[in-house]
This record gives sequence, structure tokens and C-alpha cells, in this order.
Amino acid sequence: MSIPALKIDGLVKRYGDFTAVDGISFEVAEGAFFGLLGPNGAGKTTTINAIVGLAKITAGSIALFGHDVERDWRIARRQVGLAPQEYNFDRYLNIRDVLIFQAGYYGIKGAAVARRADMLLERFGLSSKAKQEYTKLSGGMKRRLTLARALIHEPRLVILDEPTAGVDVELRLELWSLLRELNTNGTTIILTTHYLEEAEELCDRIGIIQSGKLIALEETQHLIGDGSLQDIFLELTRR
Amino acid sequence: MIVNTVGFETLVRREIVRTFSIINQVIWPPVIQTLLYVFVFGLALGSRIQNVQGVSYAQFLIPGLIMLQVIDQTYSESSSSVFQGRFMNSIQELLIAPLSAIEIVLGYVVAGVVRAVFIALLITVLGIVFVHTAPTNWWLYLLTIVLVAVLFSSLGIVFGLLAEKFDHIAVLTTFFITPLVFVGGVFTSMAFLPPVVQKISLVNPMFHMIDAFRYSYTSRGDEPLAVALTVVVVLAAAAFTIALRMTAAGVKLRA
Repeated sequence: MSIPALKIDGLVKRYGDFTAVDGISFEVAEGAFFGLLGPNGAGKTTTINAIVGLAKITAGSIALFGHDVERDWRIARRQVGLAPQEYNFDRYLNIRDVLIFQAGYYGIKGAAVARRADMLLERFGLSSKAKQEYTKLSGGMKRRLTLARALIHEPRLVILDEPTAGVDVELRLELWSLLRELNTNGTTIILTTHYLEEAEELCDRIGIIQSGKLIALEETQHLIGDGSLQDIFLELTRR
Repeated sequence: MIVNTVGFETLVRREIVRTFSIINQVIWPPVIQTLLYVFVFGLALGSRIQNVQGVSYAQFLIPGLIMLQVIDQTYSESSSSVFQGRFMNSIQELLIAPLSAIEIVLGYVVAGVVRAVFIALLITVLGIVFVHTAPTNWWLYLLTIVLVAVLFSSLGIVFGLLAEKFDHIAVLTTFFITPLVFVGGVFTSMAFLPPVVQKISLVNPMFHMIDAFRYSYTSRGDEPLAVALTVVVVLAAAAFTIALRMTAAGVKLRA
């Protein structure tokens, strides 16, 4: 059996007396398009933060392509790219340099990185803005830049935290197309979203978290059955 | 120690880009301030003082003024960069990358040293042009700047991590750094002060830094050079260790 892209085993995350994530376990196969859903405050972002190293793990373990995120953190972090929900770009760099410097933090530099940055800017329709600061970009362009930055070091797994929040329908469809293309090319994707039709459309497997616990984990079609994801989601999270 | 050398270099380069993108905040103010100090205290009022440690008062002032700016600029560099990174969440770019705590801390510290040396050299040129004074021991000049820059860059990281708002960063500058530097021998030799004040000055860390640095210009000081340098080395090592431990523990960085 092949090594999963992500393996979470009994993950617990506590902030003082508050338990944000309460012993969840699941795996995401390499090449999968996985949706992590849940109401606000369910523990999705905390789980993501634990995966990428922004949150310290209270108990349990996380492995990326077989590398423990605490013990083998250097190798594990090279495998993953994060597109966070909020725009957290370096305001002192133009957007081309945002990509090049991010690659640098991952230990990659040289002409190949510059070429990849240019290719990503082209692919995401940002070439004409390459020398501008991110503050000059529209909301949609910032979203695309977030995704481009997550991809600059060629990660095998990309985590997207609400990538289409606040974008118009046209851009949403464009981002869906980009994500499908990325997944088809072999990149494993984990997506969190509040747009259930988005998860239904894109994800082949879905996990639902509520109050820090995993309450559903199924193939999308299996989970939905004859109904809709919205009906199932509401039924599960209102219990 | 440093495994991700490219990542470390990238962080240093990023900090230098930041410094030169806010040149009106970080490069010109120390230069203009120094010129004002030299003209007002050194050349105007200083003409009434015969000499200090064997040099004119204006020449005596220059090393102290360089230290003043090195201290101020290195603390500002790392404290504001770390705090701003936390405030804007852009520091997450570093935290999710394969960079260790020592690579991150050294990145900020080395950038602080570069900024300190650059500003010190600018002021040194002003000293040569306007006051006709230059270091006589360039190795000691460089060593002291590096040690003091390491100390205050590290303190900047510590306060950049602890601060909850920009105002908190100013606490150290306003209530400790500026007063201690001003009474630490920038403007006067300890020999001019009453014996009681001289004894009190020995517990002022800025006095040792300024005294060590002044040796590189005048080859003299108010205390033995070895004592002054030892104090600076110990303080720099302590501050660096604290900054490193806080970063490694993820204090205010990793939830």
C-alpha cells in the first residue's frame, strides 16, 4: 500500500482549557482532492495550522508523505504548500519577488526559480503586475497570487484554506479550473470551504469536522447519495 | 548549525531590501541627527572644552554618536520587522518554510549587523570629513559594532515577539536605551563626572559598549578594554540565547 500524502493520527490541539481539535484521525491518499468541511470554529484551520507547523500539536501525530511534521519537519515542510485564507504577503516586495523569496525560504534559488515564478505569474494572469506590490492588486488577483505562492516550491500537497472566499462567480469558476488542472497533474489537494457546492464539485473525498471531532469521512458520492451535500452537512452538524 | 543556507540568505536579503525600501526612516535620520549633534555640541559648544582623552571634544563625540545610532538602528530593525511580520501575519511565510529557529534568528541578526555597519560607515565618513577623525584600530571598530549589533538585534527580536502593539516596542527605547546611552559616555568622559556617578555608570551596559568602541578611535578609555569587551560579549551572548529560545519555543509565533 502506498504512503498517504497526509496521515493524521489522534490529533489533539488544546488552547488552555479549550480543546480545538479532539482526537481526529484520517488519511488523504496521494493524488486525492480532499475536502475538509465544518462550521465556523469547528477546528479546520487549527488542523491545517498543525499540519503546516503554525500550531503546536498537543497530542497525536501528523505525517506528510511518511515524514512526521515534528521529527522530520524540514522534509515534511518541503512537501506542502499553504494558501491561507487571509492575504499575508510581504509588503516590501513586488509580487514577482514574493514568489522568488518564498522559494528562497524553501532553499531554492537561481534561474530555475525565476523561470518558475514567471511561469506561475503567466499562468495566473499576473504577469503585467509582476513589479507591483500586492496592495495594488484586486481581490481576485490577490487570491491567485496566494495560490501561485503556495506552488512556487513545487509541493506535492497543496492546502487551500477557503480559496474562493469573497471572490465573484467568474473568478471562482476560473480557480476551480486551475485547481482541477493542478490535481490532474498529480498534486494532492486539501480544500476547506464554506461553499458546499464547491466541495461537491471538486472533492473526491470529504471529511466533516464539528467541535474538533471528525463526524464524517467518506467518498463524496457515497456521502451525498441521492441527496445534496448541503442536506447531509446540515443533518450531520445539527445533531 | 545552518542547514538551509539559501533560506537564511534569503531572509537576510529580505531584511536588507526592507531597510533600503524605507530609506527615509532608517538611513537619513541617523546621518542628519549625527550632523546636528556634531555641529551643536561638537563644533559650537565643544570649542569651549580644551580636550577629552587627548582629542578635541568634537572628535571625542564621534565614536559615541556612532554607537548611539548602531544601538538605535539595530534594535529598530529587528523589533519592527518581527512585530510587523506578526501583525500582518507575513512572518508565517518563514514559519511554514523549512527554516530552523537559529536560521531565522541569525537571519534577522545578520541583517541588523549589515545595517549597523552601513550606518556606522556613513557616520564615520562624516567624522573624517567634518571633524578629521577616523578609527585607528579598524578591527576593534568592526568587532564592537558587530557585538553591539548582535546584542540589540537580539533584543529587538525579543521585544518584537513580546509586543502586543507598536507602542510596546518603544518602551525599551524610550525608558531604557535612550537614557542609558545618553548617560553612558556619549557626550562626556567618566573622568568629568563625580566619583559616585562614575561608580553608578559601571552598571550601565551602554557605558561599556561606548567605551570599548571609543578605544578604536582614541586608543584610550575609562576602563580597561578587556573589561568593556567582556561585558559586551556576555550581554550579546545572553540576548542572542534568549531570542533563540523564544523563537524555538514559538513564543507568540506558533499557537
